[in-house]
Amino acid sequence: MSHSEHLASVMVEQFIKAVDNGMDLVPVLADSTSTAKIGPFIARFPGRIVNVGIAEQAMVGTAVGLSIGGKVAVTCNAAPFLISRANEQVKIDVCYNNCNVKLFGLNAGASYGPLASTHHSIDDIAVLRGFGNIQIFAPSSPEECRQIIDYALSYAGPVYIRLDGKALPALHGADYHFVPGQIDMLRHGGDVALVAMGSTVHEAVDAAQQLAEQGISAAVINVSSIRPCDTRQLLASLRESKQVITLEEHNINGGIGSLVAEVLAEAGCAIPLVRLGIGDGEYAIAADRAAMRAHHGFDAAGVVRTALRVCRGA
Amino acid sequence: MNPYALSVDKLVSKARQIRRHIVRLNAGSPAGGHTGADLSEVEILTALYFRVLNCAPDRLDHPERDIYIQSKGHGVGGYYCTLAEAGYFPLDWLPTYQYPNSHLPGHPVRHKTPGIELNTGALGHGLPVAVGIALAAKRDNSPRRVFALTGDGELAEGSNWEAALVAAHYGLDNLVIINDKNKLQLAGYTREIMNTDPLADKWRAFGLNVTECAGNDMQSVVATLEHLPANGKPNVVIANTEKGAGISFTQGRAEWHHRVFKGDEITQALEELNDESL
Repeated sequence: MSHSEHLASVMVEQFIKAVDNGMDLVPVLADSTSTAKIGPFIARFPGRIVNVGIAEQAMVGTAVGLSIGGKVAVTCNAAPFLISRANEQVKIDVCYNNCNVKLFGLNAGASYGPLASTHHSIDDIAVLRGFGNIQIFAPSSPEECRQIIDYALSYAGPVYIRLDGKALPALHGADYHFVPGQIDMLRHGGDVALVAMGSTVHEAVDAAQQLAEQGISAAVINVSSIRPCDTRQLLASLRESKQVITLEEHNINGGIGSLVAEVLAEAGCAIPLVRLGIGDGEYAIAADRAAMRAHHGFDAAGVVRTALRVCRGA
Repeated sequence: MNPYALSVDKLVSKARQIRRHIVRLNAGSPAGGHTGADLSEVEILTALYFRVLNCAPDRLDHPERDIYIQSKGHGVGGYYCTLAEAGYFPLDWLPTYQYPNSHLPGHPVRHKTPGIELNTGALGHGLPVAVGIALAAKRDNSPRRVFALTGDGELAEGSNWEAALVAAHYGLDNLVIINDKNKLQLAGYTREIMNTDPLADKWRAFGLNVTECAGNDMQSVVATLEHLPANGKPNVVIANTEKGAGISFTQGRAEWHHRVFKGDEITQALEELNDESL
């Protein structure tokens, strides 16, 4: 078992490094200090965070004001409340005003599992893809998370980073080099391409291993950079396989399943596609991650089942 | 320093000139305008841009300039006429108001119009952002002050009250919230649609100072803005105004929220606003 890390802890480490390196970074929270695991930052830099209380609209608006005042403002709270409660502040204050604000969507997807749908964020990518200028990233591993955060903090403009709420094992070594827009091809395979983002990349990796044992060659494509996205590179990667399956802890509408469908359709490419995730018209069931993913069919076993069906008609 | 620092008499004359621009701006607009909201805010904007604010068109990006946020974005006509008169952009842009893709859209857009600090139009957005700017200035020990103008109907948006909590909690005494209390909103009287009174009591309960003034009386507006309490708390100025102020047949009339001057109304309004000193 490789060493696992919480992405929020990775986030806080990168914040500390940024301030140490002279960046005037101000985390803005909405009673989310524990969610953000930001204790070490507070201990190191007392008085630097801004906590507005349980008030997401004020959190995002205040972050925008801080950015206008020259700060690198980063909001850190649970993704469902950021995206839904403060939606118009994200759309207008952050995006339309093109402010240098980084939005960290913590415990995204259905990370909160049994806490049920108020706490699930399975629409964040769909919503933010509708806003013109915000860059959107979903790291799949601690190392990728580190590199995405460093990039985001150096980029002047709005960014959303979708962080999974569970500790994630290593997937990328120190030799990995994240490039915004680029597709991360983790494994090649001609029978089926498994396209995933964030924590579901690990399900895809497991599924590809199991499929190999059954004689099916599966590619694994990690789409961590949703905007920008080098769609030509994505298309080229998809074309290596006869079938495509996308999997995401997100509604199948508007996330990477939709992104892949658009890329295939716009290229006139007839590779069959199956989108796995939370199905059309559904909410994620209130359950721990394993049970929830099994129910909705995008755990590794579900992916294997779907791959066998599309590859062999089984 | 304000580059104009006009006397109250000169401000009164300037306000009349701005109202004349507003009449022509809205009459010439291909998409109507928010005449009533433009007119109620004139004394406030004139006092700010020609006397109170430490900002100027030749130092648009100065890091310590005062910041004005127009949260009531629909009052953009009055805002444009003030900015043009103050030299932020040429007066001959005014006839392009709301023409396709012009410099002067129907709500403030900062990448279109010099002098505008924040894109607004959806209500309840200005105050949280103003709070963030004021907080950044405090942390930088900057002399910057932040002024945010809201409507009174707009105060039904809960985000204003979230921002009020934050402003008081962080002791933002460099923040001045001005309520253009013209008593009317889109569909009628604010007190009938959703009463925000007693407004002063609400702000005070949130921990802010409140000063009231006669918002269409230049002497009252200037005296209030220049003698705000300095006790570590954010300041609220409730400017009691009339929607459509300054023109006999628009003042206090709900139908002028989104009506513009036509035909003889233009002539009559301009005659009322005639100023022999100009």
